[in-house]
Amino acid sequence: MHHVVVERWSRGSSPLHRRDARAKITALLVFLVVVATAHRDIATLAALLLALLAAAAWRARLPAGGALARAALVLPFTAVFGAVCWLAGDPARGLALVLKSYLSALAVLLLVATTPLPKLLRGLEGMGAPHFLLMVAQFLYRYLFVISEEAQHMRKAAAARAPGWGRAGRGARFRAAAGALAVLFARSYGHAEEIHRAMLARGFGGVFHPLEAPRFGPRDAAFLACACALPVALRLCVERLA
Amino acid sequence: MHIPDGFLATPVWATLDAVAAPVVMGMARRAQRGFDESKVPLLGVMGAFVFAAQMINFPVGIGTTGHLVGGALLACTLGPGAATVVMSVIIAIQALVFQDGGILALGANILNMAVIGVLAGYLPFYLWGGGKRRRLAIFAGGALSVMASALLALAELLLSGVRMPAGVLGLSLALFAVSAALEGAITVAVIQALEAIQPGFVRRPETVRPGSAAFGAVGLAAVLLAAIGVMFAAAAPDGIQKLGMQTGIAAHVRTLFATPFSGYETAFLQSAWVRKASAGLAGLALIYAACIGLGRAAAARNRSL
Repeated sequence: MHHVVVERWSRGSSPLHRRDARAKITALLVFLVVVATAHRDIATLAALLLALLAAAAWRARLPAGGALARAALVLPFTAVFGAVCWLAGDPARGLALVLKSYLSALAVLLLVATTPLPKLLRGLEGMGAPHFLLMVAQFLYRYLFVISEEAQHMRKAAAARAPGWGRAGRGARFRAAAGALAVLFARSYGHAEEIHRAMLARGFGGVFHPLEAPRFGPRDAAFLACACALPVALRLCVERLA
Repeated sequence: MHIPDGFLATPVWATLDAVAAPVVMGMARRAQRGFDESKVPLLGVMGAFVFAAQMINFPVGIGTTGHLVGGALLACTLGPGAATVVMSVIIAIQALVFQDGGILALGANILNMAVIGVLAGYLPFYLWGGGKRRRLAIFAGGALSVMASALLALAELLLSGVRMPAGVLGLSLALFAVSAALEGAITVAVIQALEAIQPGFVRRPETVRPGSAAFGAVGLAAVLLAAIGVMFAAAAPDGIQKLGMQTGIAAHVRTLFATPFSGYETAFLQSAWVRKASAGLAGLALIYAACIGLGRAAAARNRSL
């Protein structure tokens, strides 16, 4: 597992990539609330909002098929619930569940695919999220791939030593997996201590210093106004006409 | 069980967000005060460990495998405050980067898994982890953490009006029970393996005090009762709406918040959802303020002790 595809997309350059993270986060929240509170004529509204998101994805030069497929990761879970609702005699709610969750996932994807995570976290900090949590998030994301790679190495090594597990019973396999996890835990703990010492050696004082301060320019303000007004206006139109 | 956006009714997700925000902020502040800053890399890397642990499969039955969820394991090793912080960050990253769980539903997911799940996982270990029944306590912690968060998620879905036939409900309860038992077994096995490597990793709860068994039984019963009670309350169709209708609260709230605008009744404000939204926002602000107030009061009491 190398860097997730979203990470690659977020390094692109487009008008949407250049907008301030705070503007994009606020716009996302407005969009999500508009979708979540919709209750009338959801199919029409969903089609219009989907067009809006698709236009934004095109403007951000994201691969359309890839983005749509990536957001569809949410569908297996929601499709089950949609089907259950359908069987329970409420097909409208089932459809609404699927549409709402897909639109929300696509909107979140659009934010993450146009904003590198460090910038996103800095934007969240600018909006009042606690610094401590965001630092933990930065470390988590940074070492996610390192530790995952280690887990994969261990899995490969185990498979090489005991292909198909021979005649080992389930209990032995269970204990072996638990042992592997314990070793992974101990190694992660050791990594954390080494990382901290290395950071101290480089003069880390408890705060990350960004190379450039984020600036909220007039273009960001214009983007924010448009991105907040459009979904609300679409919804008002749909509900007025319905 | 990560709830995506679009599943929860607006009052449900909004209330849970309003409750989760101060709780997590308070936990983060406590964790920050309790630790030296060398813990920041530790918490981050241990979060990465929980992610990576999902790649190591445990055999369950014929051809099926399960993996660690991690709330109870983190609580037994890092302590409940730090575990809550780590699990919250994991859930947020899963929602943002891996499209697993919603953003508006973040409050619900964090409360289910990172706050209640971790606390339910720590409680048996805290009470009985030092005694003879240590293994049983760790098992109960793992099982309880998964069970409590799954039941809460189910209750929130039912409360939001997602209908489920009794058969589906029974099936999902059975699945929850199986995964809870699996999490308990994995947590016990990993903690035993960890103690074999280096005993210092696992926390030592203080020796058992007299009367703590009764206290623990009451605590566990309270956790279980709360989860089950919420679920039964939720299983009644559209419980909240009925309650609101009976007491007339909804009507009161609407008139209360509609009157200030009555002189300016523009077309925009006439649409019902804007009015409802403003009433809801005012209610949320109240809940938020109450949570912050409670947190402050609790913190002040802690300091004076």
